[in-house]
Amino acid sequence: MIGGGISGVFIAYELLNRGVRDITIVDSSYPGCGATFRNMGCFRSSFTSVEHVILMKKSIEEWIKLSRKLGFKLKQNGYLWVARRDETVETFKKLASFHNQYGVPSRVLEPSEVKSVEPKLNINIISGAMFDPTAGRMDILEVFTKLYLELRKRGVKFLNYTKAEKLISDSEKIRSVKTSRGILEADVFIVAAAEGSREILSSIGVRLPIDPMPRHPIVTEPYSEVIKPALIIDWDTPGSPHITQTEHGSLILARDIADSPGLPLNSHRFDAFHLVIKPLYELLPFLSLVNIERYWMGYYDMTPDHHPIYGPVEPYSNLYVATGFSGHGMMMAPATGIIIADWVLEGKPRISIANNLTLTRFKEGKLVKELAVVG
Amino acid sequence: MGGEKTVIICRCNDVTLDDVLTAIHEGIDDFELLRKYLKIGFGPCQGRSCIMIAARIFAKEKGLSIEDVLRNYRIRPPIIPVSSKYFIHGDNS
Repeated sequence: MIGGGISGVFIAYELLNRGVRDITIVDSSYPGCGATFRNMGCFRSSFTSVEHVILMKKSIEEWIKLSRKLGFKLKQNGYLWVARRDETVETFKKLASFHNQYGVPSRVLEPSEVKSVEPKLNINIISGAMFDPTAGRMDILEVFTKLYLELRKRGVKFLNYTKAEKLISDSEKIRSVKTSRGILEADVFIVAAAEGSREILSSIGVRLPIDPMPRHPIVTEPYSEVIKPALIIDWDTPGSPHITQTEHGSLILARDIADSPGLPLNSHRFDAFHLVIKPLYELLPFLSLVNIERYWMGYYDMTPDHHPIYGPVEPYSNLYVATGFSGHGMMMAPATGIIIADWVLEGKPRISIANNLTLTRFKEGKLVKELAVVG
Repeated sequence: MGGEKTVIICRCNDVTLDDVLTAIHEGIDDFELLRKYLKIGFGPCQGRSCIMIAARIFAKEKGLSIEDVLRNYRIRPPIIPVSSKYFIHGDNS
């Protein structure tokens, strides 16, 4: 396994549970160091493509089971999408009816009803909202660390600070991977290294269409519970500003700001503070009273259709990929584990809609459409 | 021994010496994992009071140098907590 983030760890966990032994995970830094530890820890199935809705519903079921098994807290306190414009409420009605069709109980709320979901929201500037009560959040830092410890205890070998540099293949199979600490041979190779997957696959001439887009989360000091939903999203402000409160109490505020793909992770943008905080303050006026404690950058690994790239990499019979999650890799990780383990062990995924997400779709022009890429 | 539960390493989050040692003994083998697992440095001190103490304990337990332990530790802006009110009004300047 190349990549020790949440996707790689879940694939390994699933393979292990089905009897696979002798699994080695190679990561260029420490486990979880990329988008896993940089994300907000929120999950939802209220998406705008059938693929995402089905995969996320399955993931939420699996997250709930796992929270009982490994003993971590998971809250289903819902996503609240706020509309500032009347026409957005009409969009929400269409979206909610699409969600309901697939068993996701999203509903549209009048401004007065929004108060019961989030009493602190300034309803004078909103036209309505959509609420998905099955969405939620968890302490991803705790959850990932527990999974890491569980895998280690059960014999999975982690080679941290080991960079995978090159795949070595013949015409049918990958034979080995050259790493910064020597050559590793294996029967099966899985690449789940986020944007780093591009470089590894380019060593065998395979191109992955992924652009790492910088994101700029801003974190406050910890407070006791100040917002009720897992995530509040300002749909009508460009870049959809959004806010969550972690289990530890910090508020994390973010917004998609126009940026160039692949900027280094220390290219801080100080205009992010104003751009992120101001619209959220309009919705939640108490945000003028918080202290900003930390700011970091992270990537959304964007594919052209904002859906992941899953499955076998032709023409090789023992190479699989799971990458390009476009901002949703954490929440989708349990489904990723099941799908990739199915492909490796059974030759096809039991969740058949995952067949729409292979690398070949870009060549064949069969892109999936997703309209709501937020948190 | 026995006093480890009352020795505070991270004052913002009440992380004790016992919490740190237990996490290391559970198998946490990287300081960044330890920090994120226990939320050391996640409070208003931003790590100023706790990081060096925690790093020293980790270094001693794992037989590493402080430099190795802190290889991935980053100081993030702002240097001290800043009130959000300064970013609300006016333009981006």
